[in-house]
Amino acid sequence: MTANVLILSAAGMLVSAYLMVGQKALFTTIRLYGLQSLLLAIVAITIAISESHRELLVTAALTIVLKTILIPWFLMRTVDRIGIHREIEPFLNVPVSLLICVGLTVVGYRVSTGFEEGSQLVTHHLIGVALSLLLIGLFLMVTRKKAITQILALLTVENAVFLVAVGVTTGMPLVVEFGIAFDVILAVLVLGILVQRIVGRFESMDVSRLSNLKG
Amino acid sequence: MNGLVAVGVPLALVIRLTSIVATLMLVRHARACRWMAIGGSIVASVMTAVVAMHVIGSASAIDGTLFRHAASETELGYSVTPLSAWFLMVLALIAVPVALYSAGYFAHALARPRTAAVGAAFNAMVGGLEVVFVADSVIGFLCGWEVMTLATAALVATEHESRASRRAAYLFLVMSHVGTGCLIAGFMILASSAGSLSFPAILSGHLASGPMRDGVFALFFIGFGVKAGLIPLHIWLPAAHPAAPSSVSAFMSAVLITAGIYGLFKVCAFGLGTPDVNWALVFMAVGTLSALLGVLYALTQTDIKRLLAYSTIENSGIMSLGLGAAMLALAHGHSTLATVAVTASLMHMLNHAIFKGLLFLGAGGVVMATGTRHIEQFGGLMRRMPWTGLFFLVGALAISGLPLLNGFPSEWLTFQALLLGFTSTPGLVRLNFPLAAALLALTSALAAACFVRVFGISFLALPRHPAASAAQESPGLMLGPLGFLATLCVVLGVFPGVVLRGLEGVTASLPGLRPAGAMAWGRLGMSSTLTSFDHIAPALFGFALLGGFIVATALTTRRGLAVRQAPTWGCGGELTSRSEYTATAFSKPLLMIFGAVYRPTRQVDAVAEVSPYFVEEVRYRAEIEPTFERYLYGPLGRGVVRMARGMKVLQAGSLHTYLAYVLVLAVILLMWLGGTT
Amino acid sequence: MIPAIQDALLAAGAALLQAGGLLAVAPLLKTVIKKMKARFQNRQGPPLLQGYYDLAKLLRKERVRSDVASWVYVAGPRVYFAAAVAATTLVPVLFPVAPLEAAGGILLLVGTLALGRFALATAALDTGSPFGGMGASRDMTIAALAEPALMLGLFASALAAGSMNLGELVRTLVQQGINRHPADILAFAGLFVIVIAETGRIPVDNPATHLELTMIHEAMVLEYAGPDLALVEWASAVKEVLYLTLLVDLFMPVGIAISAAPVAVLVAIVAWGAKVFVLAITVTVVESTNAKLRLFRVPELVSISLGLGFLALAIRFL
Repeated sequence: MTANVLILSAAGMLVSAYLMVGQKALFTTIRLYGLQSLLLAIVAITIAISESHRELLVTAALTIVLKTILIPWFLMRTVDRIGIHREIEPFLNVPVSLLICVGLTVVGYRVSTGFEEGSQLVTHHLIGVALSLLLIGLFLMVTRKKAITQILALLTVENAVFLVAVGVTTGMPLVVEFGIAFDVILAVLVLGILVQRIVGRFESMDVSRLSNLKG
Repeated sequence: MNGLVAVGVPLALVIRLTSIVATLMLVRHARACRWMAIGGSIVASVMTAVVAMHVIGSASAIDGTLFRHAASETELGYSVTPLSAWFLMVLALIAVPVALYSAGYFAHALARPRTAAVGAAFNAMVGGLEVVFVADSVIGFLCGWEVMTLATAALVATEHESRASRRAAYLFLVMSHVGTGCLIAGFMILASSAGSLSFPAILSGHLASGPMRDGVFALFFIGFGVKAGLIPLHIWLPAAHPAAPSSVSAFMSAVLITAGIYGLFKVCAFGLGTPDVNWALVFMAVGTLSALLGVLYALTQTDIKRLLAYSTIENSGIMSLGLGAAMLALAHGHSTLATVAVTASLMHMLNHAIFKGLLFLGAGGVVMATGTRHIEQFGGLMRRMPWTGLFFLVGALAISGLPLLNGFPSEWLTFQALLLGFTSTPGLVRLNFPLAAALLALTSALAAACFVRVFGISFLALPRHPAASAAQESPGLMLGPLGFLATLCVVLGVFPGVVLRGLEGVTASLPGLRPAGAMAWGRLGMSSTLTSFDHIAPALFGFALLGGFIVATALTTRRGLAVRQAPTWGCGGELTSRSEYTATAFSKPLLMIFGAVYRPTRQVDAVAEVSPYFVEEVRYRAEIEPTFERYLYGPLGRGVVRMARGMKVLQAGSLHTYLAYVLVLAVILLMWLGGTT
Repeated sequence: MIPAIQDALLAAGAALLQAGGLLAVAPLLKTVIKKMKARFQNRQGPPLLQGYYDLAKLLRKERVRSDVASWVYVAGPRVYFAAAVAATTLVPVLFPVAPLEAAGGILLLVGTLALGRFALATAALDTGSPFGGMGASRDMTIAALAEPALMLGLFASALAAGSMNLGELVRTLVQQGINRHPADILAFAGLFVIVIAETGRIPVDNPATHLELTMIHEAMVLEYAGPDLALVEWASAVKEVLYLTLLVDLFMPVGIAISAAPVAVLVAIVAWGAKVFVLAITVTVVESTNAKLRLFRVPELVSISLGLGFLALAIRFL
């Protein structure tokens, strides 16, 4: 039963990542991120209950508060402030992007077979999903032009790392947890402010315009 | 007392940290933050001095922990070995007078808003240096080293409006980091072969002789040589030391270079096993070259602080020479000779710190009073600033290695090491010793000429510029430390045996050295290992000099002998400051004799407006070739820039391209690693 | 306690006697050289006691001091004199013992003379006269060049005898007897050149010149008059005696008194006088048969001396 929940949640995370790749509306992308984080929290809670790791409940609570509620709210507010609601044409069109994401998922799963934890079914899926999520997040950063999407991609990568930590190991020491949480908040805050500044200055969130600065 | 000593070092660091934070918080009140910074510095220095003296006295190390974090299992320990204690003591001995001097100096010569930053950076620098001396693992050492470097860079850039200061700070940072890079590489190699990051494990000489050990030696030599200011790694020193505020320059020249010397001692000489003969020869060659070139370049400088900086390079060379002689002795197994040489080097380090600190602080007072660093605009300051002049004279006498002051015993001991080395080393390699001794003699004579020049042109005769004729004596707070250091010069010159007792404990703790018991000759004198070879007792000789002086005074001041004051003969014309000898003129004969080293170029322009037969002005411009900048660092720098330009292609300027690099790399790595698990 | 004080008093007494003796003899030596030079030039030359007459005259005169100078100007000649006098206590003259040999040896001797030179050069800059600066500059330059050659020459002899302490050195040489090594000749030649340079004689410097631009040592003391000048002249003369005595000690210590018997002491005085006289003749001959070198040719001369010193070391020990 727990195995099923875990596998389903992991799969859900992967699907949300695919949907993010296919999305153009910024609000939806943010909501998808929120969903992803929620599923992550569910994974954490399931493992906490099934293997009686109490600390993971704290982790899960942290994830829900921060990543499911606070960060999406902040990002949506930022998008509101800026007034840009849609992603413009990415470098690669959607079908090609989705194909590449499939390829990256294959790579992720292939690598997970290399680990000895990958021998078990559940952890095999968890690692596979996590690695795929990581690569898809990186890919998102490469192909999208809007800064908000890039922030979300970064957060996706962070989710992937978290998934591995929670699912495969017994979680990280609480000190590290808090450190990472703090890191994430700060990163999002800074990036959010930065985005507002960029838009204020250049009237565009298009990151590819940065190459104008090259001397 | 024992309890205080056991926690002395961490407590001192905590005090420094608190002082830094408090200084930064009191930014608005210049006076308060000045005293906070200085007070904290003095208290912390006194504490480390107490610990250091305890270790030297008992000749046993004190270990402890600086910082521990149980959750991540990081621990930074410290270990005050007798060698560390010696360096700490020199540090404290200079840090306290410099801090007191700064109290007066910052009040008068530093812009008020900057006092907090300078005070905090000063404390950070001293604290970093203390950590370097007591660290017992690679991580602690490198942390202290970096803090020290960054704080120093901040201090060098104090007057960041001036382009020269900015350039000096930049050059300092680049050279320091080249050195630190070499250090990190060396430490990593040692750590990986020893399997641990703690110094006792790494520096146990476990590497076998061979190209690997030579390579590690070279890395550490470069890394520490940059900090010590040895030629050819010295180019940052003459730019950086003058750019910092004067009291900080004093500290930098006197003590900061000892960080490099400490590393050379701890790692290159005594940490890699029995030294190789070639290493010793490299040390001796570099030392002699640094000494000679340092003083030769000092002779031609007209910026007083730059001159003193080059003189620091000279003395750094002398210390390195002593260390090289020790290493040669160790390579041949002569432990007594090695002890003599090590003692000479460490003693010279102490003496140099004292008289260089004295000279820089004196120069600081002069610069503050006249507003310029240019010697050619000084003159006649002896009458306006009598105490500064007197103390500067003491420092000049000391640095020239003249008897009754502290430069003489350490140079004497270095000579002893070289001569005894000549008699006891077999083979043709022994000819290096008399050669080094002759060059050392040349260096010290040139140093005497250099300081006659500096002192004479700056303090004597007529003022050459209105600023000099309006100069005021420094306030008492700045004169006190000068007096203290000058007194120390005299005391250690007349009673050098005092220093030797302390050094016995230090040399006993270094591997391969046998303490040469009979070196302190009573309380008065010093002798080399064989008393019949040579010995000195300056105190005794002082009586002879005093006697001669009394006779001379008696002959010239008899009752009824009048003293008439008359103007100096100016060949029938009026004697003004224009007809005085200039500093450039003073060193011109040496410039011409050593032309092969200097490669001077000169340009003489005659400016005539009306007709070429009625010349109105003659302009003279002389320049010395910056040999190392032009032939070594110039091509190096251009090569690096060329390489960077070549690699610029990768820098597309597009964020997405960079991210694409990351993605591709991640995929490749994953596939490679995933497949090979 | 008491033997130590006795030793100290003995040493002090011997030091006073030796210093006084050399101070007394120095003007005589200077005049002897002057007279011999004059004879070389077919002149009569001054009476033998002229040196003393000159000193007495100068000591009686008024002291003049530049109104621009500070206390450094006053202290300069005194320190120069004190250094020369103190240096005499380190050198064995009549006995194979130097009165203050416990205080130091060769290095201390060289250092003391350097101290005197530093004081005089600094004082020369104090008057604001360009000649003073020029003299100081040239003197310090030549001294700097001469120092390595001086050191090497001294080291060659010292290392051969196994001690840098002059008293010990002479004692060893006396014990060894007249066992000379060819390296000694090289070392002697090298040191002789340096002695010429340090005492300011032709071919390095002309002590009798009155043209300021050709002066080296004289230019430094141009501004002194009366008793101050007497101190400087006297100290220079003492330095000369000292250097010649040093050469005698290092290379021909024959005839030195081994016991305190009056006969031995007399023999020692005569021997020392004769040897110094022979060296003085050599100096005169060198001065009279050579022309003064251009300033920038002096380094060449000194480098010859350096080479000789180095060769002496190499030949002896390899």
